[in-house]
Amino acid sequence: MLKAAGALAAGAGLAGLTACSGSGADGATGSAGDPSSGRISVWSWQGPAAELKALVPEFNQKFPDIQVTVEDIGNPAIWDKITTAMAAGGQGLADVLHIGVDYLPGYVEKFPGALADLGPLGATAHRDAFAQGLWQTVCPDGKRVNALPWEANSAGFFYRADLFEQAGVDAAGLQTWDETIEAGKQLKARTGAHLLGIDKPASQPDSANFFQLLLQLQGTSYFDQDGAITLDTPEAVKAMTLIKTMNDAGLVNDLAGGWNAQMSSLKKGTAAVHPSPTWFGGVVEEQVPDEAGKWKVRLPPAVRRGGPTAATVNSTHLAVAGSSKHQAAAWTFIEFVLTRPASQVKIYRGKGIAPALMKAYEDSVFHEPSAFFSGQKKGEVFLEALKAPSPPFYYTADYARALKLVTDAQSKVLLKGADPAKVLADAADQLAGQTGRKVRR
Amino acid sequence: MTTAAPARTRAAAVPAPGAAARRPRSRRRLAPYLFVLPALLLFAAFKLYPIGSSFVLSLHRTVGGKETFAGADNYNRLIHDPLFWTALKNTAVVLVVQVPLMLALATGLAVALNSRLLHGRSIFRLGFFLPMVTGLVAYGIAFSVLLNKDYGLVNWLLGLAGLDAVPWLTDPLWARISLGLALTWHYTGYNAVILLARLQTVPAELYDAAAVDGAGAWQTFRHVTLPGLRPALLLTTVLSTIGTLQLFDEPFVLTGGGPDNATLTIGVYLYQNAFKYFDFGYASAIAYALAVLIGILGLIQFRILGEKT
Repeated sequence: MLKAAGALAAGAGLAGLTACSGSGADGATGSAGDPSSGRISVWSWQGPAAELKALVPEFNQKFPDIQVTVEDIGNPAIWDKITTAMAAGGQGLADVLHIGVDYLPGYVEKFPGALADLGPLGATAHRDAFAQGLWQTVCPDGKRVNALPWEANSAGFFYRADLFEQAGVDAAGLQTWDETIEAGKQLKARTGAHLLGIDKPASQPDSANFFQLLLQLQGTSYFDQDGAITLDTPEAVKAMTLIKTMNDAGLVNDLAGGWNAQMSSLKKGTAAVHPSPTWFGGVVEEQVPDEAGKWKVRLPPAVRRGGPTAATVNSTHLAVAGSSKHQAAAWTFIEFVLTRPASQVKIYRGKGIAPALMKAYEDSVFHEPSAFFSGQKKGEVFLEALKAPSPPFYYTADYARALKLVTDAQSKVLLKGADPAKVLADAADQLAGQTGRKVRR
Repeated sequence: MTTAAPARTRAAAVPAPGAAARRPRSRRRLAPYLFVLPALLLFAAFKLYPIGSSFVLSLHRTVGGKETFAGADNYNRLIHDPLFWTALKNTAVVLVVQVPLMLALATGLAVALNSRLLHGRSIFRLGFFLPMVTGLVAYGIAFSVLLNKDYGLVNWLLGLAGLDAVPWLTDPLWARISLGLALTWHYTGYNAVILLARLQTVPAELYDAAAVDGAGAWQTFRHVTLPGLRPALLLTTVLSTIGTLQLFDEPFVLTGGGPDNATLTIGVYLYQNAFKYFDFGYASAIAYALAVLIGILGLIQFRILGEKT
């Protein structure tokens, strides 16, 4: 705040942006190099970074002349780090980048050439190897391959079977979210537990995950395939209305603070349901090992009776920097990690990260009964979801803006009791003003 | 020491007749510029060029990865952007509520630290100044841990006193209060030290004269101390205003600008546009709007608080 920098302090804000002239990398700075030798660096975060590190010795048995350094940049710090490096024309960017589906289109669109085209390096051969819909995510125009899919997360409905039993509700039989809300009321009355939790003040951007899931179950997202804004559709209003109904009935636990709050809720058992992606199963087992046998998992109920219950809620990918001088060696590493079933099985065993590579699911680890999840075959539940038709979620380069407006709208509904239709209409108009996109109503 | 020594020194100090005339005039003129040239070059490369380049950037939009000239579009968008106005309003709240409170507190502290009745004054001065030395992010994180709703020390102490937990960072109003508390903790001592330095230049005779005239403590403060502090108050007000308008680190670390944009400042909004939405042109326009604002407010403060000569 108070900086003894004199009047020039006014310029500090101005000076900060020029490194980011948005010129981006042209991709021409990099080169393919030798596919079997070179020194490459990899940027990832926490769990996935640890799994990548663990794979390096095995990789080096096959490719001894490629030196791999995996850096755990942390999440969300990695996004800023990639952004600034790309804005500086790829200066200081690692060779291999771990990128979430929410950031991929933005990087591709705003920094053309910052990611190498993996097609010429051999990616196209793996076109049909991944869960459906994911190839379109990494290769939207059918020509340029921006990355290769790593994990494919389906929406799950992890629940405390013992609490539902205590409340006299058959959780496995819940067909729709409306039914689930009614069950939630009974659950609250008989056990005191909330139905689920949401980060009401949106202290973290992922506070809209549940809203997004409800959209996907209706086959929509924030944008349609033409890039028009779909925040003000009947489906979006229905999703937000469901959230408001739950909240008004006192069924929503406040997870203000994001991740830590959710972990605390998990340990205290304040919510009976965690509508979370595949990988969350591993987290539950880690956090509350004493509750083995009390938990079950299923796919979420449908929004409309008979509607879809499967949704691939997000995916992450590995990409090669356009500025990399060792693109071929980087690709060799990516191919080893993402297209070799043994690598993916090892990662799944380590951190429960669900592979996008369909061949990996032939391994027995995905078909074993889980003692923790009351003897259920957890892997098969999500495999079923991956095989089911799942409507695509169109992120576009403006996803971050849309997400901000959605989380603000949701906070207004949850904290101030605002009208879902109104806040979503406002959000759609604001987004249109910011991006120049049309609103589809 | 011999008597000849000073004479020799004098002789050495006197230039030989005609020496100046022999040195070319242009070189004499050039010398000072050569000395300031390195600083000037660095200033041009790292300040002037970025500032100019940022202005050019603010006139562009990125379409399909290419910079396209957009004229005043970004500025026009700014005027119609509700979030920008929210950020401006939040920043204004800090400026109108927190800054005066902090400066009043700093003035009180300065007077107290200057009092001869206080033992161990230097220890207190050091103690109040130390927060300023703490890294912005470090103290932001420390406050976010202290103020955590479920595990924070503050709520734990409140619980011991039988009070309910306060949602310090997750309720719009409390988040603003928390931000104000953090800022006050960090900067009050710094301002107090500036004011104290000025206070020590106020002549003691004025206080003696006031005492002789029978002035009470309040009258002495109002008619002697405050006028004496005027230049330092102007300095701290202007610096605090500039700092507040650029406020970024604390809201970014503590609340990320939330909840529900309650602590979104212009700095945080600028950051979001540049590094979250990759909209560097718009972010540059925000930076320029900010610079203009700082300029205008600075001028107004100089007019109101400046010395009337």
